[in-house]
Formats: sequence, C-alpha cells, structure tokens
Amino acid sequence: VDWSFFAQLLLNGLVMGVIYALVAMGLSLIFGVLEIVNFAHGEFYMLASMLAYFLTAQWGFDYWATILVVTVVGVAVGYVLFEGLLLALRGETFERSILLTMGLSMVLQNGAVFLFTTNPHLLESKLSYQNILVGDFRMPVARLYALGLGFAAFAVLYLILHRTRIGKAMRGVAQNRAAADMVGIDARAVSRLAVAIGIGLTGLAGAALAPVYAVHPLMGFNFVFKAFAIIIIGGLGNISGAAIAAVMLGVIESLAGGLLPLALTDAVAFLSMIAVLLLRPQGLFGRGVRV
Amino acid sequence: MTGRELSLAVIAGLIALFALPLVIENDYVMALGISFAAMSVLAGGLNLIYGYTGLLSFAQVGFFGIGGYTATLLVVDRGWSLWAGVAVGGVLCIAVALLIGYSSLRLSRHAFAIVSLSFALLCAIVARDWPELTRGSMGIPGLPTPVMDLPGGLRWRIVDPSDFYYLLMGFAVIAHGAIYLVVTSRLGRAMRAIKLNEPLAQSQGVNPLSYRLLALSLSALLAGIVGGLFVFYLTIIDPSIFDFYYTETMLISVVIGGPGSFWGVLASSAVLAVLPDMLRFTTDLRMVLYGVALIVAMLIFPGGVGGWLYRRQVARWRRPKPKAPAP
Repeated sequence: VDWSFFAQLLLNGLVMGVIYALVAMGLSLIFGVLEIVNFAHGEFYMLASMLAYFLTAQWGFDYWATILVVTVVGVAVGYVLFEGLLLALRGETFERSILLTMGLSMVLQNGAVFLFTTNPHLLESKLSYQNILVGDFRMPVARLYALGLGFAAFAVLYLILHRTRIGKAMRGVAQNRAAADMVGIDARAVSRLAVAIGIGLTGLAGAALAPVYAVHPLMGFNFVFKAFAIIIIGGLGNISGAAIAAVMLGVIESLAGGLLPLALTDAVAFLSMIAVLLLRPQGLFGRGVRV
Repeated sequence: MTGRELSLAVIAGLIALFALPLVIENDYVMALGISFAAMSVLAGGLNLIYGYTGLLSFAQVGFFGIGGYTATLLVVDRGWSLWAGVAVGGVLCIAVALLIGYSSLRLSRHAFAIVSLSFALLCAIVARDWPELTRGSMGIPGLPTPVMDLPGGLRWRIVDPSDFYYLLMGFAVIAHGAIYLVVTSRLGRAMRAIKLNEPLAQSQGVNPLSYRLLALSLSALLAGIVGGLFVFYLTIIDPSIFDFYYTETMLISVVIGGPGSFWGVLASSAVLAVLPDMLRFTTDLRMVLYGVALIVAMLIFPGGVGGWLYRRQVARWRRPKPKAPAP
C-alpha cells in the first residue's frame, strides 16, 4: 500500500468532511429549530463561493478579509431570508417550506446561470500553489486553512449552543417547541438567529472551499443533496450527529474515490442513508424518533 | 357540474384529443400533445402521492428514467419487444418505490421527502458514471421503431409523431382513468383522511403506511411506463432523462393546479405543456419564472387553483339560503 497516497486521500476526505459538516450543521440547525428543510441551502453555498471568487479575483481582497466578508454577508442574508420568506410559513409547514425554498433555489440557481453562464471559474491566489511538505507528503495550504476554519467554526457553534443563553434557548426550541413557548422563549428571535447562523456557516464553507475547487452556478445542487443524506444519517435535527456523520462521509467518500469505481463513490452517501434508515431510523446519533 | 355533464364533457374532450391528428397534420402540435401526455401522467402520479396522501415525493423523475432505461436496455441489448421491456420497467419501478417508501416511512414523511430526493439525484449520477450499464453521458441513440401487433394480423409501425401521439395519449387516458378510479373510490377517501389528519385516520383503523405505499407504487408504475414509451419517441436516452427540470415542472403543475384536485392538475399540466413553449422562453428564464410562481403560490395560495375553487364552492354551500318572501 502506498502510504502517502492513502494519507493524501485521508486529508482530502477530512477537508471535504469538515466542509460538508459546516453546510449540514446549518441545515440541521434550521430544521431542528424551525422544522423547515432549506432546499436553497446549496444555492447559498454556491453564492458564497461566487462572492468569494469576485472579492478575491476582481476586487483584490486577501484570503482572511474574503472569509470574513462572505461569512458576515451570509449571516445578514440569513436574517433577510427569515424575515422576508420563512416567517410567512406558520403552522403545518414542512412540505410548504420545501416547496418555497425550492422555488427560491430555482430562482437563485437559474438566475446565476443566466448572469454568469455555467463556465467554471478557478479562484487563483497566492494560496493556490503553496504546500507544506512533510517528508514526501504535500499538504496544500488552502485545504489546511479550510480544515482549521471548519474546526474553529465547530468550536464557536458549540460554545454558542451550550454556553450562551440564546444558544440554550435555541436547543430548547429544537427539543420541545411547546415547552419553550411556555417558559417564555421568544421563538421568533431564536428562529431568526438559527437561520442566520445556518446561512453564515454555509457562507463560511463556500468561501473556505472556493480556492480549492472550481466555482460555478450548478455546484450547490449536488452539495445540498449530500448534506440532506448527512442530516438523515446523523439524526434529523441533531447538530453534533450531523457534524460527525459529515466528517465520516467525507473520509469514506475520499477513500472510496481512490479505491473503488466512480459510480460507487457517489452512491456512498445514498447507500449509507438507506442503510441507516433501515437499521437505525432515528439516525446514528439520534436520541429516539422525533415526530 | 353534475355527474352527467361531467361525463359528457369528458367524452367530448376525448373525441377532440383523438381527432386532433386527423384535423391538424402538424408535427409541432403533435410534439406539444405528446409532451402534455407524458408530463400530465407524471404530474397526475405526483398529485396522487402529494395531493392525496400528503407525501412530498421527488422520486417520480427517477421512476420515469428507470422505466426509460429498463425498456431501452431490454430492447436494444436483449432484443425484447418494447411492450415486454416497458412492463418489466414498470414492475421494477414498483419494487424500487416499495424499497424507498418502506425504508423511509418507518421514520417519518419528512425522511421520505429527503430520501426520494436523494434517490432521484442518485439515479442521474449512476446513469452518468456507470458506463458499463448505461453507456454513460453519451446515452444510447438510435432506438428502434416499435411495432405493435394488432388483432387481425395487422402490424402498427409506430414511426410518425402522430403514431406516438396516439400511443402516449392512449396510455395517458388509461393512466388518468386509473388515478381517477382510485381517488374517487374508498381508497381515495382513506388517502385524503390520512393527509388531513393522520392520527385520526389511524384511530379509525386506516393504516397510513399501506395506503401511502399503494399510492406510491401506482404512481411509480405509471411513471415507469410513460418513461419507457417516451424515450422511444425521442429515439435516444441519456442521463438528462433524470434532469431535475422534470421534477420542477411536475411540482409546478401540481402546486398551481391544486394538490388533491384531479381536474385542476390535469388542466395545469395542459397549460404548462403548451404555454411556455409557445411563448418561446429560454430555459433559464422559464425556470426563474417557475421558481417565482412556486414562491408566490406557497406564500399566497398553497391550495392552488383547485383549492381556491373548492373553497369558493364550500363558501357557497355555507351561505344561508335566501329566505322565502314574506306572505
């Protein structure tokens, strides 16, 4: 076995897994708190990558400024999305929320195709060609930064959810909406923050991955489908479950990509999801079936 | 409309549809008719699942493509007749539908929506990345002309657009007939009950899982068959048969027509088959407009046109009767 090849696959998988986790945790947070499946989540990831591309390539922002600006814009978009569209959905919302956000996704995706065509853009910066050498094993700096940013975001999200008042309120709403209402939690403020954080995380993911892969208007679509599989595997609405499942999926996919035929690589996410549903419907890390 | 008027209208409509190729010999009109026949069956099946049993399904396009690929491969590689290939495709779709439905509905209808979506996307990926089976993204061009043996030793070679018009329109009539029979029967009432109030339906002895699996199987069968017939009209199959575009168009038909409204969805599929094509929108622009329509429909009238008409009707029933004039 070629160990440096194996280690390379492992690193790539880990980076991909962390990025999946950022997207999937946002999706899971929004589902947990609002019971809304955000179909347009992948489009926000795509728009974040596009924005990162334009900031860096056209207006000469440096790496960290780009990350910061895109994440802040993501949070702002989340606020607007909640106040503008999601707030209008009340009561029995699940199917309506999917159809609504799917309409949004169609507008964003086809609008982006209309404006930017489907040509992929490669974000080239100083970072693109920098590597850290460990023995004969090359580690691209852009991937390492993406990995670091991902873990930093996990830590911040964990602290928000477990140490702050509003974070605890958010988990309270996710666990039992009626009880949260009764103890006086403002569901609207909590939901708004959840959407803002969710879209912000996606923005961060898009910006961090923009220097690694090509940027184009259709990239969000396949991505969100993996994120859906991840939140099922991790347990619907279970945020840390989604994070763990995402990292696992990233690594398994990368290893499968190196060792198995192409068709199987893309099927890994779907097959693991079906297996989990059959064997452990509440998800690998679920606390029991939520209705 | 009374039952008698309705059946007269249906018979008149059927005669008009089947006389159309005799009156207008125009390939463009035939093409619109064929696309209406195919899309209306897909939308009708989706309406059965979503409109009647309340499950949002993205799997229809997967069954459409599986039906198409199964029929193609059996005809091209194995030399089967189209009819046997289409039948096997339909049965395979039922098997897949039961697998997806049973595994995800154990959890919730939320899980079903997500699993059906992943399934549809997986189909596209497999069709593209498994060239040993599907010939990959190049697809399989040059599908042979289907021949149907009619009673009395006649052979119908299905070549011209008008032949395919009769084939697909004929199947569409059968398919909508089957859907109509289901939704107006006891089965349809049970399905509506499940959608309106699942715990209450359960407490009356209705098992939601079996009705949902039934609706899912029927719509999978119809979508699979229509897929098998449609690709022989196109004479090529490639992974774009699984394009999300079909799903979006179907969902728009159902949402605008009114989920749970048989005639509403049928009418909206006719309008959506004809109108955008005649207005010559580019695909990007069309999808942006569909997206806007979906958002507006969800925010303002989630029941669609059918739901709106139904609410008006209910309001009319509830209106107090005018008092008899005082003597």
